[in-house]
Amino acid sequence: MMMPHFTVHQPDSLEEALDLLGRHRSSVKVFCGGTDLLIKMRSGALSPDHLVSLTRVKGLRTISYAESDGLVIGGAARLAEVGKNAEVKKLYPALAHACSVMATVQIRNMGTVAGNLANAAPSGDTLAPLLAYGASLVAVERGGRRQIKLTDFFTGPGLNVLEPLEIIEAIRVPDPPPRCGSAYMRLSARSKVDIAAVGVAGFMNLDLDGKVIRCRLALASVAPTPVRCPEAEAMLEGQKPDDTLLAQAGAACVRACRPIDDVRATASYRRAMVQALAQRVLAKCYAQAAGGEA
Amino acid sequence: MKNPAIIGQSIPRLDAPSKVTGKAIYTDDMKLPGMLYGKLLRSPLAHARIKRIDVSKAKALPGVKDVIVGADTPGVKYGNWRLVPQSQDELPLAVDKVRFVGDEVAAVCALDPETAEKALGLIEVEYEELPAILSVEEATAEGAGLIHQESKGNVSLVRKIDYGDLDQMFAKADYVREDTFRVHPVQHAYMEPCSSLAQTEEGNRVTLWTSTQTPYIVQCLLASTLGLPENNVRVMKVQIGGGFGGKMELRPWEFCAAFMSLRTGRPVKFTLTRHDELAYGRRRHPMTIYSKVGFKKDGMLLAKDFQVMLDGGAYNAMGPTATFLCGTFGNMLYNYPAYRYFGRHVYTNKPPASAMRGFGAPQAAFAAETQMNMAAEELGIDPIDIRLMNAMQTGDVIPDVATISSCGFKESLEEVRRISGWDQKRKNKTPGKGLGIGCFSFISGGVFNWFNTKYNFSAAEVKVFEDGTAQLAVMACDIGQGPDTVLRQILAAELGIPIHKIRLISMDTACTPKADLGTWGSRVTLMNGNAIIEAAGKIKAMLRPVMFSELDLNQIHDLAFEDERVFVRANPKKGMDFAECVYKALRGREGEPLTARGYYTPRNKGLVSPAFSFGAQVAEVAVDQDTGQIQVEKMYTAHDCGVAINKMSVEGQLEGAIQMGLGYALMEDLVMDDQGRTLNTTFLDYKMPAAEDMPPGESVEIETYEPEGPFGAKEAGEGLAIPTAPAISHAVFEAVGYRCMETPITPEKVLRALGKIK
Amino acid sequence: MAKRTIELIVNGDRYELAVDPWRTLANVLREDLRLTGTKVGCAQGDCGACTVLLDGRSISSCLTLAVEAHQREVTTIEGLAPSPDELHPIQEAFVQHGAVQCGYCTPGMVLAAKHLLDNNPAPSEAEIRAGLSGNLCRCTGYNKIVDAIGAAAKKISDTGKEA
Repeated sequence: MMMPHFTVHQPDSLEEALDLLGRHRSSVKVFCGGTDLLIKMRSGALSPDHLVSLTRVKGLRTISYAESDGLVIGGAARLAEVGKNAEVKKLYPALAHACSVMATVQIRNMGTVAGNLANAAPSGDTLAPLLAYGASLVAVERGGRRQIKLTDFFTGPGLNVLEPLEIIEAIRVPDPPPRCGSAYMRLSARSKVDIAAVGVAGFMNLDLDGKVIRCRLALASVAPTPVRCPEAEAMLEGQKPDDTLLAQAGAACVRACRPIDDVRATASYRRAMVQALAQRVLAKCYAQAAGGEA
Repeated sequence: MKNPAIIGQSIPRLDAPSKVTGKAIYTDDMKLPGMLYGKLLRSPLAHARIKRIDVSKAKALPGVKDVIVGADTPGVKYGNWRLVPQSQDELPLAVDKVRFVGDEVAAVCALDPETAEKALGLIEVEYEELPAILSVEEATAEGAGLIHQESKGNVSLVRKIDYGDLDQMFAKADYVREDTFRVHPVQHAYMEPCSSLAQTEEGNRVTLWTSTQTPYIVQCLLASTLGLPENNVRVMKVQIGGGFGGKMELRPWEFCAAFMSLRTGRPVKFTLTRHDELAYGRRRHPMTIYSKVGFKKDGMLLAKDFQVMLDGGAYNAMGPTATFLCGTFGNMLYNYPAYRYFGRHVYTNKPPASAMRGFGAPQAAFAAETQMNMAAEELGIDPIDIRLMNAMQTGDVIPDVATISSCGFKESLEEVRRISGWDQKRKNKTPGKGLGIGCFSFISGGVFNWFNTKYNFSAAEVKVFEDGTAQLAVMACDIGQGPDTVLRQILAAELGIPIHKIRLISMDTACTPKADLGTWGSRVTLMNGNAIIEAAGKIKAMLRPVMFSELDLNQIHDLAFEDERVFVRANPKKGMDFAECVYKALRGREGEPLTARGYYTPRNKGLVSPAFSFGAQVAEVAVDQDTGQIQVEKMYTAHDCGVAINKMSVEGQLEGAIQMGLGYALMEDLVMDDQGRTLNTTFLDYKMPAAEDMPPGESVEIETYEPEGPFGAKEAGEGLAIPTAPAISHAVFEAVGYRCMETPITPEKVLRALGKIK
Repeated sequence: MAKRTIELIVNGDRYELAVDPWRTLANVLREDLRLTGTKVGCAQGDCGACTVLLDGRSISSCLTLAVEAHQREVTTIEGLAPSPDELHPIQEAFVQHGAVQCGYCTPGMVLAAKHLLDNNPAPSEAEIRAGLSGNLCRCTGYNKIVDAIGAAAKKISDTGKEA
């Protein structure tokens, strides 16, 4: 298929970008890495007349961390940059891991975390870890900003609550509490370089007695959107996890998913993997949290 | 006699510097003045009658220079099996009927690719849909519709092999087992999508640069489909980005580029997309293989009945050869007192399967080697011992097929047992881990002249010059496997001159000697190597009189050509520089250059091949019993390729073959829906092994000397694509007890076998 | 939807070009600048044959719009060797270690290796393999490519100079 024709705008500032969106509102898309968008356009799935590029917008690539604010990932920060960031690696290992193993080196050098969220593919690798960390995002449009909890963001495969004229300005991830652990594990049925057929992310923090204060679990590739597992989370909170409990939580995760058969894996395989990976992820989170590692 | 020092060295590829700097030119890199861009319109349906095609809107689009449909072409059917004209079942563009999703229906050329693409959308085709036949079972069922009117029961070709008394041997057997295996389709996935560029000269002559492994075959078939004399078509050298059997036939875009170039008088280029390749391209045959095998209780083989249905897709392509070789490799490796093969090549409404690295042998070996392991298990014999007991050896005869002139199979088995730590590891088994074995044999070029060439199978022309350099001209083509270097090594060894003093002209059907059947069936080193040796011998014969008269040599003296000198073997001081010798030989020839041609055609070499490679491979795997994920931890290989001419190239072939074999076993699969459409048409979803998926390897070359090969060499590389899948499958069985009877081996199948999913 | 005038700095050379905004960098490099060492194997960002360096980062030029490279530094395979009769240590190692067969993946592999070594001058074997996650090869089985990159890393650090 041939690429449809369009005009590209390359604003220097967010204001200018928002103006351009407004001016071309009838047929416009924002892009940054372009790794998902250009493929969709070449396949004919999308054909906007205007593209607004965020690659030259000043200040949008920043990744910053402060105890008060937690982590703030700029809307144009690339996956590779987030994956390599020292603070992300130390404090948000599940996210760092996702950003350094997903797709390929080249795609990670081009694509952004915000783009991964906006694309809203159920298999997007940063989605589950960010859900597990309780992240939210800041969407901006000409009228102002709003903060959207990631749990409220995804509405279907490729769908989210962003308005057409909104831009993801930043992703905010809360500061991790003491005695917490987090992990992301992905499994593809075939190559190591592959789209995840199943992904499980977990976050857990413990009280001084070793009981779970808070647990968040998120699953990728097993439902039309990435999903949290409230049932499993509730089972763990207030408890000291042991193998039996972890297995029960894994089973609860399976109940939270609605997988499909596709060329990458069957639904029944995905279900079995949710169980296996959830247990492993929880065990890893617990060990980290109990061991005092970040 | 000892081989010259250059034989067996690891010489870096002579074409590598141009490839690492981006200077190497592949077809799609070329752009000629006035060039037009071609595109193909393909059938969206698996099986349909074409009721009407209207190209008027496409023709009217500004920038479009030509639009053709089947009716515009001479309508000459083609196919590689010229010896059997009724097997030639393909037309460049469909006439009346389409037979698979992707069957070429029309072609457009325009000033730019975008206009050509737009024009495709303006062609109106009205189809009358016919029931699509998508499996060999449906195709051969009573009352099934016919995909080709001429082929009853949709079987296009049958191959039978029958020797020994099968019934008597099965009656004598203590242990008989029957199994049915199903193997899936995979693709060559060469990195360079096919591209062809044609240019017309002097009215009706055409030059074609094209991604092909078989320039001579393309020349001949293109000429016949265009209705031109062979001599009017020239297929020329260009770099080829891999082939593996997928670029060895005349293809519609080659025809369309040439035909439209003739019609427009302008160069025309077609380049396929990866989607085209994965969705519509050639592939390895899926097969249904029934095998019944009988043993004495001590493990001696008695008989095998091997019945195979090849899912050929919509056209024969190279399917007939795969049908032959599948039968040949159903019983290679071991001595069977009685063997019967019944192979049927079946048409279905799917993209045609064709040659792919191993050509019917990987499928046959998956079944045969797996069954061997199953029998060993039940007979309580070590899988390597049972193979050693039955293994073929030098001098063994396969009735009506071949006499094995060199064979290092037993040595391969013993070496692979040693390097893999087979005995110890099997004794101290770790749960979830296993070792498995698979073996192979393969041909060094085919004997059977299905192309019906009037020329020799391979030819070489050597010229030597007074500056001590030489020129080698061969039609053989380097598609990445390395003959541009290896063939020069052979000539360098013969003439005793350095490899960099040899200029190579290859793969040009107008100026390299007739003929060469191309790069397939592991034929180039042996066949072209022999032709080069013959040509070099003739050159040396031209130089002999100079030496004998200049140095006043005795009739009994023998000459040596080494280190850029020609000298008396028994007295190396007595001689002269090679350059001087050539200079002197040129005197008195009235300006006639020193040129000689050599040829090779296998004669009296049975029905299959002049020489066979052998080998054994052990896979070591770990299986995660919760996820079913299979990690191939190491591959051990011992193989007999005769004398390796270029060790580095042989290693490269081995490692590349493991990548392909591992992909075949575990990852790659073309998934189709019930309408005959391929679903995974990107490399995101057609998954072949990446660098991180590749296990480390250890290998031993069992050096035998193949009397029929140049410097004792024979096949290396294609056969190595055969053992990996059965070895991995066996290792998975040893690790977790799952025996794969239907490839590929997936984590899901493992978990089902373990009862972990329903 | 008019053509855009852009300035590309490719292998140190400055080019002013008028391009359609929907054209990819791979296409402009190959068709307009005739730098055909950049190959297109899939046009989907899956195979890595079109890898080039954009401001030093390896990217898929088949998924990058040419206009996005405006006033940026692009390095293609043609720009890696320090001089016409010298190869870059990575290129040299690919030749010497038998890492090249059909050669179609080679330009992308070499540039992926360049990006890797620029960021990690002494990678482990596992890191080299991970660094090639975006580059497919069908001929070599990768092992000789991995060896070549390891050898190039050593040579670059031994000679202390980077071309």
